[in-house]
Amino acid sequence: MHIKSNGSSNIMGGLTIIVPVKAAVPNVTAVRLDPVTHNLVREGVPLMLNPYDRNALEFALRLRDRYGGKVITMSMAPPSGKDFLESTIGMGADEAYLITDRAFAGADTLATSYTIAKSIQKLFPNFDIIVFGEETTDSATAHMPAQVASWLGLPYVYYAIEAEVKLEDRVIRVTRYLEDEGVYETYEYRLPIILSVYKNSNPPRDISLVRKINAKVNGLVKTIDNNVLKLERECIGLRGSPTMVTKIEDAKPIERKRQLFKGDPKEAARWLLENLIKEGVIRL
Amino acid sequence: MSTRFDVIVVGAGPAGLTAAQQLASRGFKVLVIERGKKPGSKNVFGGRIYAHVLDRLYPEYVKEAPVERWVRRERVTFMTEDAWTTVDFETTKTEHRSFTTYLTNFVEWLGKKAESAGAVVVSEVPVDSLVIKDGRVVGVRAGNDEVYSDVVVVAEGINRLVLERSGLAPKLSPDIVALGVKEVIKLDKNTINERFGLDEDEGLAWVLAGYPTHYLPGGAFIYTNKEAITLGIVLYLKYGYQLDIPIYELIEEFRLHPLVKRLVKGGQLLEYSAHLTPVAGLNASPPNLYGNGYLVVGDAAGFLLHLGIIIRGVDFAMESGRLAAEAIIKAHDVGRYDAETLSIYGKMLEESFVLRELRTFRNAHKVLMEPRLYDDYVKLINKALARYFDVDGTPRRLGSTLLEAKGNITLLDLARDAIRVVMNL
Repeated sequence: MHIKSNGSSNIMGGLTIIVPVKAAVPNVTAVRLDPVTHNLVREGVPLMLNPYDRNALEFALRLRDRYGGKVITMSMAPPSGKDFLESTIGMGADEAYLITDRAFAGADTLATSYTIAKSIQKLFPNFDIIVFGEETTDSATAHMPAQVASWLGLPYVYYAIEAEVKLEDRVIRVTRYLEDEGVYETYEYRLPIILSVYKNSNPPRDISLVRKINAKVNGLVKTIDNNVLKLERECIGLRGSPTMVTKIEDAKPIERKRQLFKGDPKEAARWLLENLIKEGVIRL
Repeated sequence: MSTRFDVIVVGAGPAGLTAAQQLASRGFKVLVIERGKKPGSKNVFGGRIYAHVLDRLYPEYVKEAPVERWVRRERVTFMTEDAWTTVDFETTKTEHRSFTTYLTNFVEWLGKKAESAGAVVVSEVPVDSLVIKDGRVVGVRAGNDEVYSDVVVVAEGINRLVLERSGLAPKLSPDIVALGVKEVIKLDKNTINERFGLDEDEGLAWVLAGYPTHYLPGGAFIYTNKEAITLGIVLYLKYGYQLDIPIYELIEEFRLHPLVKRLVKGGQLLEYSAHLTPVAGLNASPPNLYGNGYLVVGDAAGFLLHLGIIIRGVDFAMESGRLAAEAIIKAHDVGRYDAETLSIYGKMLEESFVLRELRTFRNAHKVLMEPRLYDDYVKLINKALARYFDVDGTPRRLGSTLLEAKGNITLLDLARDAIRVVMNL
């Protein structure tokens, strides 16, 4: 069983774990694309916590419950992002930060990773682990862990499913699962490190009523803007975003051949087999 | 940590949020707990709200609320596989109106009203049961957490698991509920206006009986929104076992029926949903509408008036929420929240349209459960008219055509059912 700890009982003060999360668009097909910039039009669209970020948060909470310390969630989002950050506190995060400023709007993954990396550096310079979800449901680039790692000059591991920490040596053993190969790999690193969590692992715990009330009533989600962070304008928001979406096309469904064979089942099977071989669908 | 409130409301729907808004605006410390992602995300209805309650509660709704269209046209159709007979009513009057809307959006709006009045609305947390100590409800339990209050307003909807688990309501019987399934189909505004004969912002509400439920008790509905139409099937669960196909195939068949097919042509399916609905009026109520430390409102209390053609849930829910708030304010003045003090809620319900109308129509569901209404009579009316309009040189009087079409139904049955319908609906 996991050892409960509030962080102070641990000789090292436990781990400081940052979980950056994203406000994702729940139903991508219902969202319009801006005809000029080809960006998603997010205004007026309800946002929700990217579901895979819940698995990442669970991963982080398990580490904290075992080794002590604290879990801090963080999101670069419009002011309405406060709602889903309250849910992260409801799940068990100790603190939550909403990084919000009009100057951050229109960011691509490069500008976003810069903002996240610099925010973490400024607010929590002594962090131990940054834990990301595997990807987001609305853009699925999975850029963030690697990009934040490169801004901070740190190692990173994707598809983590569990980890063990030796606090006194500041060493972490991370196991990751490669789905396609069906392979588990275990790596050992010195902290700090950046992880992204395999999306089918660490099923998230329920949201606690009392914790969520506390988050709401006591305003536990803290808001940080660029007056605090003082990030360079050239590196954030639209100005810091070199990505250009040059063209977007609807994927056209492939026309089916709709061939029909009527007659004896034996002949039908033969006919089907011959055609499937001819089309290269199956090989003998 | 703040784990004590004056009032806890279980369920952020029309009833719960109205109670919460009313109480919070009078200075009560109110907590609303919702299991869905946000207020409204678990709500499903056919398509329209009767506005008379809103005129009183939120007069600003005309400007603020997410109204889709104002209903100006009502249709009732008796439908068989290959023929249908429709009553089509239109009016140019605009008082006592009803409007179509997306209930999810409407309830989200009510949620914002409650929050801006000061209520704390917590979503994504299912309440497991009420906390009962010494025969009194003192709070709610969710997972390992307990939160306490002077009084709990149970607004959990028709699937009242919290009341059941707390021993305050029996399991739902199939006799008192129906299952609704619904689709929202996107169509552009002009197409809707043309196909349904509507002008800008004008709406249509339509109920259809017979073929849509394979002639079992229940029916279908169609409502027009601004840029979508909603259609659905409601089937009395008591007769569910007689259905020969799954209910989700019923709605498919209904959409492909020649009458409906041309109305939804070119449309895009946006969403589908399903929900239970109370259909037995007061017979769907739990044993007690109030007790020591708690009140029951909305669908959980069975407050839905189902008259076959007219179906009213949201106005009954909101009014019961308002009355629950009034009762709690009175109980607060007395300083007690026991069943005796809260019985004022029962009295206020009796004086309001909620119980007055539900009592007036207390036998409606028994009449509406009569299978002949959805089978024999639907077929009869279409058969009679088909014969009457089919001119082939043989003389046909109205009376004899009707007698010929009625088949096995006796005149006595006809007379008795007609009287029952007229007297009870």
